[in-house]
Amino acid sequence: MRDLPSAAALLALGREVLAHELAPLLPEERRPDALLIARCMAIAEHEMATEEAPLRELRSLYGSDEEPEELLRRFARDLRIGAFEDREPAEPAARALLWRLTVARLRRSNPQFLAANGLR
Amino acid sequence: MALSHFLAAASGARAVEISGLEPLHGGALQENWGLDARFSGGELGGDQRLVLRTDAATGITASLTRSQEFAILKAAFATGVTVPEPLFASADSTIWGRPFLIMRRVDGIAAADRITSDAALDPAFPAIAHRLGCELARIHAIRPPRPDLAFLPPATETGPERQIVGFRAYLDRHPVPRPVLEWGIRWLETHLPSPAGPVLCHHDFRTGNYLLDGGVVTAILDWEFAGWGDSDEDIAWFCCKSWRFARLDREAGGIADRAPFYRGYESTTGRRIDPQRVHFWEVLASVRWAVIALQQCDRHMTAGAPDLDLALTGRRAGECELEILMLLDRAGSCCDA
Repeated sequence: MRDLPSAAALLALGREVLAHELAPLLPEERRPDALLIARCMAIAEHEMATEEAPLRELRSLYGSDEEPEELLRRFARDLRIGAFEDREPAEPAARALLWRLTVARLRRSNPQFLAANGLR
Repeated sequence: MALSHFLAAASGARAVEISGLEPLHGGALQENWGLDARFSGGELGGDQRLVLRTDAATGITASLTRSQEFAILKAAFATGVTVPEPLFASADSTIWGRPFLIMRRVDGIAAADRITSDAALDPAFPAIAHRLGCELARIHAIRPPRPDLAFLPPATETGPERQIVGFRAYLDRHPVPRPVLEWGIRWLETHLPSPAGPVLCHHDFRTGNYLLDGGVVTAILDWEFAGWGDSDEDIAWFCCKSWRFARLDREAGGIADRAPFYRGYESTTGRRIDPQRVHFWEVLASVRWAVIALQQCDRHMTAGAPDLDLALTGRRAGECELEILMLLDRAGSCCDA
């Protein structure tokens, strides 16, 4: 699962601002460049909309092929009630999964922050 | 103009002429306007540089009303906290379209990225951190009961147990599961500190919410979340990673080590800061900011305030989740691949 709005939706919003608010403020000779950038964003928007989060470990943790969203909800519910606490090997597996989900999320949205924390 | 008439009546002036009005950079939840005005007579007779502070078009429910913020500012000003002098407030929406307060305008910059990346301020930063510790201690000297602040809910309604309930209620409504936040909240629930005597907490005391002018603290700003609470909550909020901006390595607000900040606080209060308690509140700070960031994003998504900045704020929740993991499971970072 990814944050909302999705990367694709953010790209669409940024592209709207670029094309309709910023481009008109540019000198006429540079407006085509701005529209090109908007087009690049549109392409990336479509590609990002099909990207998937790494959820193989989640399926492994539960030994289930349920839908990723349902598994993630189940994981969150279990963490809330401490279902993995003091259980080997479930607890370290759950922690490792938390790290993987978080790092994967930041790789998409803020790789600079990961790097600033010594991660990549 | 209705505002001129209001200012004249409130100050006892014969007339008020507004000569300048400009939007100022401010918080996401409030609008601030710089206001230059000439008062003919009354308690403010002469030229005055003021700020009008009002709600943004959409807000989140946790913040105080402007009238309540005005009362908090008056209490802080009277106690010697460095705040802009509060002058007037009005709940009459016919004057400005929304309730507002008026305070004196103070020089300085608040831009956190600019402050934390300004190498010219490096020599002054330890003294600034010390001063901020002293300022926070003065805020915490305000304690209940206070009839002038009777609108504030008791600390029992804003303590960590209640905050945990609020975090979970929000996550139950949020469409995307957030396992790290659930894990962090569970840790909070099982590591609650012993209750501390309630003090007035700013609840958003951080770099970005004070003004610096030439390396001197000229104002503590943005009191919209103030309320009774645990003093360590404010200390942890100032130090938590989310508010270090360009300098993650400087643990006191991105400007200095913790030592000068703590010394300023401890020398004013006479109380030793307990790092274990601050650790708890730092975890809570990361959860809290994650939830606020998601709520800000909700304003973009569902509350009729489409805005690229708000939309991107929601992405900062991931930063908080990383910090929760680093605070509680530092050894686990080796298996991040």
